[in-house]
Amino acid sequence: MSAPTTTAPAAPPSPSGRRRGTGPAAPPRGRRRPPLLLLLPAAIIMIPLVAYPIYQLGLLSVLDFGQAQASGGVPTSFVGLGNYQKILGDGQFWSVLTQTIGFAAFCVVATLAVGATLAVLLTRVGRISRLVLTTAAMAAWAAPAMTGSTVWSFLFDTNLGLVNKTLVSIGLNGFHEFNWFYDKWTSFLIVGAVVVWHSFPFVMVTLYAGIKAIPTEILEAAALDGAGTWATFRRITAPMLRPILTIVVIQSVIWDFKVFTQIYVMTEGGGIAGQNLVLNVYAYQKAFASSQYGLGAAIGVIMLLILVIPTVLYIRSLRRTGNEL
Amino acid sequence: MRIVRRAAAATVLAATCLAAAACSPGTALPAGDKAADDKTGTLQVWLYNEAGNAAKEAVVSKAVAEFQASHQGVTVSVSYIDTDASARAAKMKGAFNDPNSAPDLVEFGNTDLPGYVAAGGLAEIGADLDKWKDKGDLDPAIAKTAVLDGKTYGLPWWVAVRALYFRTDLFTEAGLAAPTSYAELVAATQKIHAAHPDTFGIAVGGKYTFGALPFVWDAGGDIAAKEGTTYKPTINSSASQAGIKRYTDLFGESGCPVQQCADLTGGKTVDLFAAGKSAMAILPNSSRSKVDAGPVNGKYGVVPLPGEKPGSIAPAFAGGNNLGVMKAAKHRTLAVEFAELLASPAYQEQMYDAMGNLPTLKPVNAKVAAKDAFLKPFTDTIAAGTKFVPLDQGWAQIDAQAVIPTMLQQIVTGKADVAKASGDAATQITSAFAAR
Amino acid sequence: MNTRGRRRLAANSLAILVAVVTAFPIFWMVLSAFKPKGEVQSLDPRPWTAHPTLESFRQVLSVDGFGRYFVNSLIIALSVVVLSALVVFLAAVAVTRFRFRFRTTIMVMFLIAQMIPVEALTIPLFFMFRDAGRLAPGVGLNTLASLILVQLAFSLPFGIWMMRGFVAAVPVSIEEAAQIDGASRSRILWRILLPLVAPGLAATSVFSFIAAWNDFVFAKTFIISATENQTLPSALLVFFKPDENDWGGIMAASTLMTVPVLIFFIAVQRKLVSGLAGAVKD
Repeated sequence: MSAPTTTAPAAPPSPSGRRRGTGPAAPPRGRRRPPLLLLLPAAIIMIPLVAYPIYQLGLLSVLDFGQAQASGGVPTSFVGLGNYQKILGDGQFWSVLTQTIGFAAFCVVATLAVGATLAVLLTRVGRISRLVLTTAAMAAWAAPAMTGSTVWSFLFDTNLGLVNKTLVSIGLNGFHEFNWFYDKWTSFLIVGAVVVWHSFPFVMVTLYAGIKAIPTEILEAAALDGAGTWATFRRITAPMLRPILTIVVIQSVIWDFKVFTQIYVMTEGGGIAGQNLVLNVYAYQKAFASSQYGLGAAIGVIMLLILVIPTVLYIRSLRRTGNEL
Repeated sequence: MRIVRRAAAATVLAATCLAAAACSPGTALPAGDKAADDKTGTLQVWLYNEAGNAAKEAVVSKAVAEFQASHQGVTVSVSYIDTDASARAAKMKGAFNDPNSAPDLVEFGNTDLPGYVAAGGLAEIGADLDKWKDKGDLDPAIAKTAVLDGKTYGLPWWVAVRALYFRTDLFTEAGLAAPTSYAELVAATQKIHAAHPDTFGIAVGGKYTFGALPFVWDAGGDIAAKEGTTYKPTINSSASQAGIKRYTDLFGESGCPVQQCADLTGGKTVDLFAAGKSAMAILPNSSRSKVDAGPVNGKYGVVPLPGEKPGSIAPAFAGGNNLGVMKAAKHRTLAVEFAELLASPAYQEQMYDAMGNLPTLKPVNAKVAAKDAFLKPFTDTIAAGTKFVPLDQGWAQIDAQAVIPTMLQQIVTGKADVAKASGDAATQITSAFAAR
Repeated sequence: MNTRGRRRLAANSLAILVAVVTAFPIFWMVLSAFKPKGEVQSLDPRPWTAHPTLESFRQVLSVDGFGRYFVNSLIIALSVVVLSALVVFLAAVAVTRFRFRFRTTIMVMFLIAQMIPVEALTIPLFFMFRDAGRLAPGVGLNTLASLILVQLAFSLPFGIWMMRGFVAAVPVSIEEAAQIDGASRSRILWRILLPLVAPGLAATSVFSFIAAWNDFVFAKTFIISATENQTLPSALLVFFKPDENDWGGIMAASTLMTVPVLIFFIAVQRKLVSGLAGAVKD
């Protein structure tokens, strides 16, 4: 993507280092009106199909609304914050919330660590190794959450699983008919591994692409200055990857906080006595499975607030340091 | 912050809406009690897609052919719906919320009935069934599972009760006869496990609600009891606690090791028994084909699940499926007639032959039991009296929130004792009934 | 061998090892699908089979209307990919190339849209589509159009966030040069900018394809009576019954669900990597 030579007279007034500068490709000032035509298609689709349902969700959350109200002719009643009180007053909600935050944090950190390490590894290996690893990662990425979770459950099955069989055959007899999903922490560990397995390829490929895009001259210059691997990474690679890391981190947090399928399938609905419940599964079990839409909507709104607050704070802190979205 | 202002504006807007009641979430007007009643056209029927569905489809298509031959201008279209709980619920809710998508006749699990009635989904068919010639032959305890507040909403199509499967070879070797009391059952688990350390005394599961309830009922307990118009939990009564303890005591060294059995569903206990891994299991008659397909074929017998008192039978859960006419049906009379045909003696018998589901008509039950000695313990169990879950839509919530499995799992894993776990369950049951 | 060579060898070995571990579950899934029934359920699992069979695949393919469901899923996924790419491109240009009031608010809204569990939104959406169906039967419940629309809507927020980076990476100078040369706004958009961000669109379309292909929450909510409009995943869900332990059937169904996504991936792989690289090029 090289710029045509004729651009010189029309060079943008904004600083050229825009990704680290004052914002994305800052166009000439003064264009303060929204480009309505460009936003129109997205608005036509998202206002009725996303915004309006979210608004309805807020409305539902202050109503006593279940299947009897939806189709049984029972009048809908306004319960104010009653649904919220019910959720916040449920002792289980708080333990599930803590657990969800812990689990999501573990998954985000592990995904980023694995993805980043492998991205760096990709830059150090030959063409064939790179092709093999990328293709394998693509396969994991492509596997639907449902099938991925099922296959992993099968591998860790108490009686039929290959993992137990292999561990026993290398002399670890304690794993004969070992139930990985009996203990809370081994369950979370395996489900976490599956979540990471599904999501590290996105991080790996994105960061690898990012690293490859760093001009080699800069890296060579750093090497000439005597910077070591770590210093190069910290001073050059990491800052240049920051915009893409921002997206990757925000998205990973959102995805892992909302994890449902892996927990639901692998721990069969939340584990023994609900020990592996996370918020999304809790919402399903507590409310949606028994058609308590009002209560479920309240949980949805609470989840939204939990995610929105740190996101807005993060974006504000970005702004304060001179970075724009 | 701009976002906060925005949110405030949205709240005000929402409040205005509420005041005006102009933008409440969509609802479906309840279909009138007199549903459309076309006598020709396509009759839409939803039946469950079960394991080994081909045999069921064969019987049903015979009934369809017969029905179409006797009803000019009528086509019967049968869809087999996924029985997975969430997929099934989505389908039924869709039919309730959008009457245009609703079929005329549905098969449904009898525990779902109160929820479906509250949703305004099912038509009352008591008056129609009064005219049905076979009505008098319905087993009364089972017929009651389709009645809510004195109104009948379903035609019981088949039932399944559970009994005790046991390994005849292991029992003979240990010099034991089939257990006739809870004490004998426990003694058998110990003796057999001592001789065969790799074999579980009995396959039970922490998520096997309908395996546990017979012990509770036998001890004189229950999930909840009706007081006036509302249900009150009795799961933590001393009788219930005694029953819960008897069931959860089966988890352990000689019965079913906790590590392996705490997360088992009823379906998984079938596999343990069929694989020859356990000496006993509490299974329905329909598990027979699966057990016969495995290594214990010919090496097992079945007796009613014994109660505490020697010689007694623990009350079984009267699980089964009903046929119900949708309120939004467009062919009400035809739907009732087709349901009556499917539940007629001839087709109940064929359904037994095809799927192993027990008939709901007493003469047919007697007939198949005479034909097949295997069924005797099951028909004996029905004759001894069956029990049912609370007929209230609160049950749907108790079931969805896994209240009973959570209680059992807390006890067997040692996270709580019987008193604490059943007390927690009672609290949740109270709020489930109060939510309505 | 010198240190450098040794380190390179170690890196290569590590990469291959990670690849094997990563691909292993997929391998096991395909293998189990080809194993005879008795062998899948065997207490002595082996990483190979001497008797490959199509038994499990035949069982899955014998689902009534399999072909139809496959085509439905493909229609939905491809429609979503194409429409979403188009809408995402325009919106991404709007939020990167223009500075206007509420721009940040709009971006945050796109994030918020992703934060709500979809299960919670199905009820309002259900009633909307039901009522829409009364006015325009073509987009009501039970139609493929309803699934395309809702998948499209939920693919946009993430797509726009991703595409922002790609659009920003194209130097503004290119557009300005074209403008000076007398190119019209729309010509710049479609003839100059679009080809430059095409690899980025390939990358984002991977996400919309996966989401649309794998969805069964919306499919099972919206497709009630019109069984002919079912999608593949919701039809194959019949096999996912752990209680029946038909692992052969489950694995064959899983394989058939995964393969089309894999093919799509391989088709766009090249573009994907170079596209993602484009996002950070300065």
